Amino acid sequence: MNALIVAAWIAAEGEPARDDNGQIVTHHWLLPEQAELIYGTIASLLIFGLLYKFAGPAIKKGLSDRTARIQGELDSAANAVQAADADATRIRDAKGDIDAERARLFAEADAQAEALLRDGRVRLDREVAELEARAEAELAAGTTRVGDEMRAEISRIVQHATDRVVADSIDKATDDALIEAFIQRVGASS
Amino acid sequence: MSTARIDGYARALFEIARADGTLDEVEDELFRFARSYESNDELRKALTGDDIPAEKRQAIIEDLLQGKATSTTTQLISMVAGSGLGADLPAIVDSLVERASSAKQLSVAEVRTAVELTDDQKARLKAALENATGKNLNLKAIVDPTVVGGVVATIGDTVIDDTVRTRIDQLKSRL
Repeated sequence: MNALIVAAWIAAEGEPARDDNGQIVTHHWLLPEQAELIYGTIASLLIFGLLYKFAGPAIKKGLSDRTARIQGELDSAANAVQAADADATRIRDAKGDIDAERARLFAEADAQAEALLRDGRVRLDREVAELEARAEAELAAGTTRVGDEMRAEISRIVQHATDRVVADSIDKATDDALIEAFIQRVGASS
Repeated sequence: MSTARIDGYARALFEIARADGTLDEVEDELFRFARSYESNDELRKALTGDDIPAEKRQAIIEDLLQGKATSTTTQLISMVAGSGLGADLPAIVDSLVERASSAKQLSVAEVRTAVELTDDQKARLKAALENATGKNLNLKAIVDPTVVGGVVATIGDTVIDDTVRTRIDQLKSRL
């Protein structure tokens, strides 16, 4: 390659400059040689042209595909965002429903608890009233029973005592007096 | 026992006593014995018990009435008890008394007192009851300690009760 370049260079510019050792040197420490610029420029244009002609459509297609893919991804992302928003909305709605349901359940539970408490208090009051009434009735019955038993016992004792006292107190004179009173009463009753 | 049979026995006893000429006395003694029979459980058992032979019953009666009643009365009661009709003795005697009273145009007045009435008391009581009822009465006086005191007289369906027992019972019912 170098030999080719050197040959081209000699053909274009003549004999190159040489140092003391006979080595070819550039005429400027920074700028290339004129022919090199020309060949380089032509080669670059050629390469760029070839690239434009052969690689351009592929690159363009790749870019287009990439753009479409990116657009598709953007669309998917937008759809995903939209779906996510919908899900979020639905979840929020569901959460709202859950909150409402929870509130309803709590309210219902509170109502039931209140009703149970109220019923329990009513039943308790009724049972207490019934117990009090029963206790009073039993007390009254007990009092009555004891009173009846006492009266019966007193009556029995009095009857027994009456029999004995009366029988012991009636002597012959008393009996005669009773008989005489009977005779007089019956005789006077015609 | 049927009423006809009781009346038959009563008529038989009545005729025997009347034929014997001791109707009033026998009637009175039979009446007293019948009342004693009603109020005395032991006497009732002795004269009605199936396990006591007829001879034994008659012996008991003779022992009881020996010297206390006429022989006619003793024999009549002995006959009834020996025939196994001891349980019907009061009904037979009551029928006999009714028959005897009817024969004399009298109504039976049963008078119960706690003590024995004197003859004077009987006469005055009989007069008082006749005055009250307007009937001629055959007074049958019974000593019944359960009346405690006073008198209860029964003439047919009429009862005149002025006994201490009744007053005690009334007092008890009020208690």
